[in-house]
Amino acid sequence: MADTLPSEFDVIVIGTGLPESIIAAACSRSGQRVLHVDSRSYYGGNWASFSFSGLLSWLKEYQENSDIVNDSPVWQYHILENEEAIALSRKDKTIQHVEVFCYASQDLHEDVEEAGALQKNHALVTSTNSTEAADSACLPTEDESLSTVSCEMLIEQTPSSDPESALEVNGAEVTGEKENHSDDKTCVPSTSAEEMSDNVPIAEDTTEQPKKNKITYSQIIKEGRRFNIDLVSKLLYSRGLLIDLLIKSNVSRYAEFKNITRILAFRDGRVEQVPCSRADVFNSKQLSMVEKRMLMKFLTFCMEYEKFPDEYKGYEEITFCEYLKTQKLTPNLQYIVLHSIAMTSQTASSTIDGLKATKNFLHCLGRYGNTPFLFPLYGQGELPQCFCRMCAVFGGIYCLRHSVQCLVVDKESRKCKAIIDQFGQRIISKHFLVEDSYFSENTCSRVQYRQISRAVLITDRSVLKTDSDQQISVLTVPAEEPGTFAVRVIELCSSTMTCMKGTYLVHLTCTSSKTAREDLEPVVQKLFIPYTEVEIENEQVEKPRILWALYFNMRDSSDISRSCYNDLPSNVYVCSGPDCGLGNDNAVKQAETIFQEICPSEDFCPPPPNPEDIVLDGDSLQPEANSETLKESTNLGNLEEPSE
Amino acid sequence: MMAIRELKVCLLGDTGVGKSSIVCRFVQDHFDHNISPTIGASFMTKTVPCGNELHKFLIWDTAGQERFHSLAPMYYRGSAAAVIVYDITKQDSFYTLKKWVKELKEHGPENIVMAIAGNKCDLSDIREVPLKDAKEYAESIGAIVVETSAKNAINIEELFQGIRPVVLTVCQLPGNSLISTSAASQLMALPAHLSAAVRPPAQQI
Repeated sequence: MADTLPSEFDVIVIGTGLPESIIAAACSRSGQRVLHVDSRSYYGGNWASFSFSGLLSWLKEYQENSDIVNDSPVWQYHILENEEAIALSRKDKTIQHVEVFCYASQDLHEDVEEAGALQKNHALVTSTNSTEAADSACLPTEDESLSTVSCEMLIEQTPSSDPESALEVNGAEVTGEKENHSDDKTCVPSTSAEEMSDNVPIAEDTTEQPKKNKITYSQIIKEGRRFNIDLVSKLLYSRGLLIDLLIKSNVSRYAEFKNITRILAFRDGRVEQVPCSRADVFNSKQLSMVEKRMLMKFLTFCMEYEKFPDEYKGYEEITFCEYLKTQKLTPNLQYIVLHSIAMTSQTASSTIDGLKATKNFLHCLGRYGNTPFLFPLYGQGELPQCFCRMCAVFGGIYCLRHSVQCLVVDKESRKCKAIIDQFGQRIISKHFLVEDSYFSENTCSRVQYRQISRAVLITDRSVLKTDSDQQISVLTVPAEEPGTFAVRVIELCSSTMTCMKGTYLVHLTCTSSKTAREDLEPVVQKLFIPYTEVEIENEQVEKPRILWALYFNMRDSSDISRSCYNDLPSNVYVCSGPDCGLGNDNAVKQAETIFQEICPSEDFCPPPPNPEDIVLDGDSLQPEANSETLKESTNLGNLEEPSE
Repeated sequence: MMAIRELKVCLLGDTGVGKSSIVCRFVQDHFDHNISPTIGASFMTKTVPCGNELHKFLIWDTAGQERFHSLAPMYYRGSAAAVIVYDITKQDSFYTLKKWVKELKEHGPENIVMAIAGNKCDLSDIREVPLKDAKEYAESIGAIVVETSAKNAINIEELFQGIRPVVLTVCQLPGNSLISTSAASQLMALPAHLSAAVRPPAQQI
């Protein structure tokens, strides 16, 4: 990396999550000189998606992360007398309570690795050795480093291993773990590790012949690059702000999307499909004739509820749930509308909120298909990358694995004027955008964060079997006890390019009340069973079986007032990490607000100039390429509202 | 109407080896001495007739994200072929070629067709990389190799023509759908769609 960074920019963006990436794109698009850095080796921060080996490295990174000791700050020598520094954090503290369970059988004697994949750190090393490169060309090589990463993950997590590398990643949470880790089962990390080793039937496996429909851990490792596992599980509302922005800015051309194929509900221990389009309602077998009419009538009203204030006026003070009881709806229908269409909880939302949510849902229906949602192929992590590309196309400079030591503040003007990066280089800028997780504890001491509970499961079949094995489903499981939250389940099939053939990738998300496992395990147990050998014999099994599971808590830094952060200069803007919501509106709103502060009179991500208006420096363009591109862009216009 | 097959081709290689110039020559038959290094097009297209089909190349440039080794995995998605470029007058750019191949193996689609282009062959009097070395290496990884000059329009057309038959053969392998035919984008073709090549010189925006 002999190339050095320029020393002056208009906007420096630290962190490559979705809001930061949108702002970087918008600023670059309107002519600002943008430097976009991320201390990690991948795009997206907590919005990223990983291959299976990538996810394992990510987990490992968090373990190593906790070992980082803040050494003496070298940057102090770079700060002048009339300046102050705001040190940035070198530790990421946004992920906690990580727990991994493997139920698929593991043959530890077999050396397995992800085909074609290389360990992240290795990619950094410039290979000057031709044999090395040639090796990596033929697929199943014996790359020691990789097989170490993949297999050791699980070994390390057994209680007998080094306690420092235990499941609890966040240093602050590991209190008391060092002593008696193998006896003291009350502490979360060792308990889970214990359970895990119980659940892994190593001994039986080595003798058994692999069966046809058996999926082993080594298969998951081998096919690891088929996975694109989202850290944050979201969908795009067909008429949400993000879709509008993608189309408006033409960033949509960098990605492809699939429609969610069905909305599910979980009632009385059973998973069933929710009818949401008119055709669905009439074809539904679960609804009686009378119910069909009731539902259609109610939904038709919701579409334009504002026009009939009399219908809901008297009910504004009560919850949506109570309001539904006053309508001519059977309990069955009330349940469907509340949990699967409005997707709100019994207690949380008012009548108006519920009507709004229902209207939004209906409004998004039919734009691209039978449900109101889209999912990006290859995972949510593609979206920040798409906006980063747009930023780069307009001249933005990208630097991953580049950390910033501190922000430099001018004492007199109280404005931030530069950053000092990991090499001690001072880079001047006018505006500074920092993602929440980069701030040190000093800056965030007054901030109260909420948490998101997440689970990621790899399963062997869908929660609701149909003729097609390529369904993409969203399911809301209502909260059972007061003080807990509804759990959102998104099940992705292999055609979304997020998991290997024959498996499903299931994401569970809720607002945390406890650790991720405590919050989500009850729901996991209702819907799934662990994968074990015994049940293969038993054909009665209907529930999907879990091959592999991961739980973790992620910091929710959304909706935090700027004033909660200590001593931020006015030209330092804060971007939050992912929020718990289903859509991406929060990120887009945030990006637009901050962009408008930076560039008050500028349009937010306008479409790129029409190809025919573009003249290259020097000679003029050949017309052929031009007419070609023009044809295409009209095409895109049509795609905005595809015919069904 | 003739069927259009879309072929996404991504370009790789160190900054300054002539990636953008190669695309520019191929798509617009144009060469600019002062092409600004950071401004890459989003992607450019060129449609070439082939039998009773039209083959439409969608050529993605790195947009400068390679400069600090920050190419996004999304860049490689759905690529049928990759053109990896080095500068025959710079030994270093040939060494790092191997690193790009490695990265491609890591992030790129399986069975991606690789073509190596030794650019600036008009400057062979100050050559540092013998063609023999490139050929040997290409053979070891099963890539096509050709020396090109975007400046003098040498072998540029041939480079892309060379990719085509290989891509088509690869695509006929079972379970391989690297090429998206127009019909294949039935998906959720919302915005999905690859389109317009825009090449915005920053100073004009």
